[in-house]
Amino acid sequence: MRDADVVLANVRRGMLPAHIYNDTEVFEAERERLFSRSWMFVAHESEIPQVGDYVVRRVMDNSFIVSRDQSGDVHAMFNMCLHRGMQVCRAEQGNASHFRCPYHGWSYRNDGRIVGLPFHQEAYGGEAGFARKGQRLVPAPSLDSINGLIFVSMDPDAPPLREFLGDFAFYLDYYTRQSPSGVEVLGPQRWRVKANWKIGAENFAGDMYHTPQTHTSVVEIGLFREPKAEKRKDGCTYWAGRGGGTTYKLPPGSLEERLQYVGYPDEMIKKMLEQWSQDQLDVIGRDGFMISAASVFPNLSLVHNWPKVADSDDVLPFISLRQWQPISADETEVLSWFVVDKEAPEEFKKLSYKAYLMCFGSSGMFEQDDVENWVSLTNTAAGTMARRLLLNGRMGMLQDDTPVVEPLAPEEFAGPGVARVGYGEYNQRALLAEWADHLEQEPPATATTVVGMSGQAECS
Amino acid sequence: MTTYLPIRSADSPLGQDAPTTDAVGASLAFDDPRHLLAHRWLVEETYVLDHQDYDAWLGLLAEDIHYYMPIRVTTALGTGYDTAKRMAHFDEDKYSLSRRVARFQTEHAWTEDPPSRIRHHLSNVRTFATANDDELVVESAVLLFRSRGDVNEASLISAGRTDLLRRAGALGGGWLLARRHIAVDESVLRTQNLAIFL
Repeated sequence: MRDADVVLANVRRGMLPAHIYNDTEVFEAERERLFSRSWMFVAHESEIPQVGDYVVRRVMDNSFIVSRDQSGDVHAMFNMCLHRGMQVCRAEQGNASHFRCPYHGWSYRNDGRIVGLPFHQEAYGGEAGFARKGQRLVPAPSLDSINGLIFVSMDPDAPPLREFLGDFAFYLDYYTRQSPSGVEVLGPQRWRVKANWKIGAENFAGDMYHTPQTHTSVVEIGLFREPKAEKRKDGCTYWAGRGGGTTYKLPPGSLEERLQYVGYPDEMIKKMLEQWSQDQLDVIGRDGFMISAASVFPNLSLVHNWPKVADSDDVLPFISLRQWQPISADETEVLSWFVVDKEAPEEFKKLSYKAYLMCFGSSGMFEQDDVENWVSLTNTAAGTMARRLLLNGRMGMLQDDTPVVEPLAPEEFAGPGVARVGYGEYNQRALLAEWADHLEQEPPATATTVVGMSGQAECS
Repeated sequence: MTTYLPIRSADSPLGQDAPTTDAVGASLAFDDPRHLLAHRWLVEETYVLDHQDYDAWLGLLAEDIHYYMPIRVTTALGTGYDTAKRMAHFDEDKYSLSRRVARFQTEHAWTEDPPSRIRHHLSNVRTFATANDDELVVESAVLLFRSRGDVNEASLISAGRTDLLRRAGALGGGWLLARRHIAVDESVLRTQNLAIFL
């Protein structure tokens, strides 16, 4: 990546070289240094509830089978036959006890162990030729989960996921642990947009400023009552650990009244009260903030909103989880899931699904206008003029770095991290600072798996 | 053997009250007046959609319409399903479609300003009778070409559709769309959003 030192130094002071949103060299650096190390979401356990269930997901160009084996354990296995490298699973999802390679018929259990190697004795001379014992589809270098969300890291020495997430785990519970049973995750809708992956991640992390402008139309048609400019800036943004998000300020009222205000039925509220810590409840009940969009570094985002789904004044909350899967410097595959508490009443699940479809995802009315902007931005960032431009991403700071507003004190905001009321680009800077930290590091050390040669290391 | 797995409204939590009328028998002859009527209806509708004349389009939809485009997924042969469980791109009733249309009519629906140039290429139309004289099942293929801006790569969406058309009766003899199942032919859509209708 050209002039990496200058680019990263500028990013760290909130001055954004416009070309980072469409630059193949930057993308290569991201591939080698960021996506080779960071934890990446691949699936939720509810997508593979039964023994034998699997989904196939990618981490960059790498295809992984995420499966539940016969004893109920979850695996993420590189989807490549150990013989000639064929994909052993060419479906996106299903249920299987074994995967059989169509090329030469090698087969593997759904935990990755090799079970079938045709003509092992005749062709290889048995174990003396090809050491079959202990061979398995290559597992993801690191695998971990939180609240049923399964993550993979390409770094074999990745820190535990909880350590990586840090205090963001506190906020993750609002989206994915509203009852002891946790959530079910449905989808994903998948579609490709000609936009750089960072734009969506930054937007969901902290861009309250765009809501009243980009999403004017959804307020005008009565779908959403909240994003009037004067309301959106009353919310706060927070950054904690490796994630951050936005909130709405709720009208005065008790904890229960505020959860009712966004449309939760009493039956669900009762469980939230038992499930969440006092601090988690205080963010809503005492401080009056309701979580909305959020991003976890690098490319996982969440959103919680409460539109009207019928011609009445009632609103219905929904949650979406989405991944900005990088395809190239100027293309992203969006994977967007609908998330709902497992214990929620069926009627709630149905209407929350409807709310999701109307607002987000491939046909969502919020999302439609977001993507239009991001495609346009990516297009413009490709040229040489973009290389001469440092965009100002310093909202919330004076030129001498003095903050425009002070962080909320612990008695004003019970959540961990740093929270500030009003518009600001603190979170986008936090996300990009993390990006810069990764791009500055050398790629992680990796090991080579040698197939079928017992006790032999790779050639050095 | 067939790889065809029909889409059913009953698979969606939002399709439980959708019309359930099914096709009866083989497709109608191409000179059957009912086929001519249904074919003409679909051709007229493509012009309405291509012109983005969405008020007129809403006028063609029955009050109890289920407009449903489930996600297609790649599954092994014989799996028994090729659409996602309980997830769709569109799973609409008249109210949600009317909100989508209302949004396009604000001055702030940026994704369609400037508007896309769209063309629904319609083909393979066949019509089936049903158990009653007031409803017809019509199948068709549609290839939607969508171009945005001057040099952006255009996008294509290919889909099969199975529609239920219903005689509007007292409303002057017109026919209304009471159910549309859209079988999109890609698992991952190559268009920036579905700010269009199929």
